[in-house]
Amino acid sequence: MNRHFRRGQPHARLFAVASLFVLAAGALVARGASAADVAADPTAELRAVDRDVQDLKKQLVDLNRDLFKLEEEILYPASTQVAVFLSVNVGTFFALDSVTVKVDDKEVANHLYTEREVQALHRGGVQKLYLGNLKSGQHELVAFFTGKGPHGRDYRRGTSVSFEKTVGAKYVELRISDREASLQPDFVVRQWE
Amino acid sequence: MQTLALAAAVVAAMLAYPLMLHAAATPTRGGELAPDFTLKSTDGRNLRLSEYRGDVVVLTFWASWCGPCRAALAELNSRSAQPGGDRATILGVNLDGDAGRADSIARSLGLTFPTLVDARQAVGRLYEVEKLPFTVLVDRDGVVRATWSASTVPPSELERHIEEIGQ
Repeated sequence: MNRHFRRGQPHARLFAVASLFVLAAGALVARGASAADVAADPTAELRAVDRDVQDLKKQLVDLNRDLFKLEEEILYPASTQVAVFLSVNVGTFFALDSVTVKVDDKEVANHLYTEREVQALHRGGVQKLYLGNLKSGQHELVAFFTGKGPHGRDYRRGTSVSFEKTVGAKYVELRISDREASLQPDFVVRQWE
Repeated sequence: MQTLALAAAVVAAMLAYPLMLHAAATPTRGGELAPDFTLKSTDGRNLRLSEYRGDVVVLTFWASWCGPCRAALAELNSRSAQPGGDRATILGVNLDGDAGRADSIARSLGLTFPTLVDARQAVGRLYEVEKLPFTVLVDRDGVVRATWSASTVPPSELERHIEEIGQ
């Protein structure tokens, strides 16, 4: 009956995390043994164990963060890295439904937004829409936004930008904002090196 | 004593590494995180599976040309109307790619749960759907607990699984 699903966890990170758990277990066993030897106060002993566990948890979180950064540096080196972010500024004239991103005419990201995700963007959240590699040189990014525009009408807009990928990481921000003068949404593309 | 225990732990970790590699590379039966997805429902909302963490979710894949799917949908629909039916959130995933047709069938069956349209069958591929109806039970942590392929889910079996998750 049961079927199977793949999960793409990096082996190195899995190993490191599991090792820490095993080491934690070992440390606890060792501490237990020494406690028996010295017949220490049980509550003090529990507090010490608790402290050790908290320390290990913190180390685990730090290690996971470092491994995540390392993984990203290996998979997306700065020389080829391109990241596309999406943010919303006010957004009263546009209710976001989906975004499709094409780089050099190839679709690289397509995202459907749930109500919660839209709320998070309205509260100032920035979404990493795409992270990939591009060789140095000239490239074109096209983004299509769909949703409800002014007066609840279906709205579809495209925006494009040509950019040059240099040796450093390239960051592109797609920003949806309101154009008060025309009571229309505005789609702005900004670039950072 | 402490040194000995730590040394034993390191050796254990080293021995466990190949096993963990195997576990990561080879699909295991059940117990894996249900692949996340966002799909548009026939009522226009976009629904994301991971936003149902904390709930038990029954995902059922179906298509308009699949006769047994209608029986499976009707069965799940009647379950949701029964007392205790709200212990699990049911999401239907239509693989036709035609939202209008999916909506028409959902209405004719009087479905009370959302019908999601997998227009590109991307989610169907993600869940390796080979036969319809295909039903997946996802627990509160987003982990697959059971699947049923090419058959209506026996109500007692589904209840038993939900009961186990609830504990």
